[in-house]
Amino acid sequence: MSLKITALVEKARDGNRPSFQDLVTIFQEDIYRLAYYRTFSQMDAEDLTQEVFEQAYRKLNSLNDPQRFRAWLYSIAVNRCNDFLRKRKYMALLQMRTAQEQDFMATGKDMNNSYNDKIEKKRFWKQVKTMLHKLSSMERQVFTLRFMDHRNINEIASILDKNESTIKTHLYRALNKVRGEADFFKEYRESLS
Amino acid sequence: MKVENHTHLQDEQILWAVIDESDLARHAQEHLRGCPVCKRKVEQFRYELRDFGQKASLAVPPFSRPVRLPREKPAAGSHNVGWLPVFGAAAMAAFVVFFYFMGMETVAPTQFASLQNQENLLEDESLMREIAEIVEVPLPADVYAISGDNETGFYEGLYEISGDDGTGFAEDMDEINGDNGTGYDEDFLEFVVPDLQDDFQSEFI
Repeated sequence: MSLKITALVEKARDGNRPSFQDLVTIFQEDIYRLAYYRTFSQMDAEDLTQEVFEQAYRKLNSLNDPQRFRAWLYSIAVNRCNDFLRKRKYMALLQMRTAQEQDFMATGKDMNNSYNDKIEKKRFWKQVKTMLHKLSSMERQVFTLRFMDHRNINEIASILDKNESTIKTHLYRALNKVRGEADFFKEYRESLS
Repeated sequence: MKVENHTHLQDEQILWAVIDESDLARHAQEHLRGCPVCKRKVEQFRYELRDFGQKASLAVPPFSRPVRLPREKPAAGSHNVGWLPVFGAAAMAAFVVFFYFMGMETVAPTQFASLQNQENLLEDESLMREIAEIVEVPLPADVYAISGDNETGFYEGLYEISGDDGTGFAEDMDEINGDNGTGYDEDFLEFVVPDLQDDFQSEFI
């Protein structure tokens, strides 16, 4: 992690609010994307991003090693998302409309993009959901962190509090499942045959 | 399909190479370095995974609500305790109040013996009372009804059951018996149960 970030974390731990605000600016879009990959809802992802940074701000003093800030922040985000998804499952049982469905029906928010672009994105996320649905919970976590959030094995192990060999095993299983079925990896499959 | 006496990597080895080349066996690593076919497969899959990640990143709707920090950072140690401890404390308080009003009092171990003695005494007393009642009225109430005895309390009991004021029952019985209202047929009763005095006198006559 860069020295700049470490310095900002140290200052923020000493109570410097603008430093934490800088950290928010650096990481907020990454955390938002992380939340979106798990919720597939813009509204929910934005809410979760807000909550993640509020929690990080409150608990910053519990972070012992400033160099671990990114992994620490990601672990907060992953846990928040898991809690949220658990709650959403219960809400679905009660047949309450989720923000994801509301997003799906909303038409006005993303007016800059063309209609075709929106259709294309919807199709893309549908494929992603279908692919991720075939993975176990842990495989999904590991796959998403590695190939969508672009974290390395060491960071993933730190975020999920597992050892590296466990992460690699889950990653291997996830790749083994997705390579055969997902449309994204057609060319790779053709290269094998 | 042979390269420098080594076979091409299996599909599983390609996957391990995508994850981390250093996890492959040494000869597989050497093969991968020298084999353009296997290298291409690994690179192809890596490229597609990278491409997938980039597509995902581009397909995310724009972030439109920047994060706002809370005005004040909470003091150290003042964290959200959640509802569970509060609920636990409330439940405990309700428990204490409930048992207090229901009269569940704590009793010292030394007091247990005297309490047990008192219970035994009460039991003995009620037993003695039952025995005394049996001594006073030894026969069941039905027997008194047959015998027409009205001084044993049997009729009173019946009055209580029938809700009568104590006069109607006798009248009903008189109607059944065809009696004149003075009681049962005394001749008949005397025939069934002869008077002891009569018997005694008859023996000496």
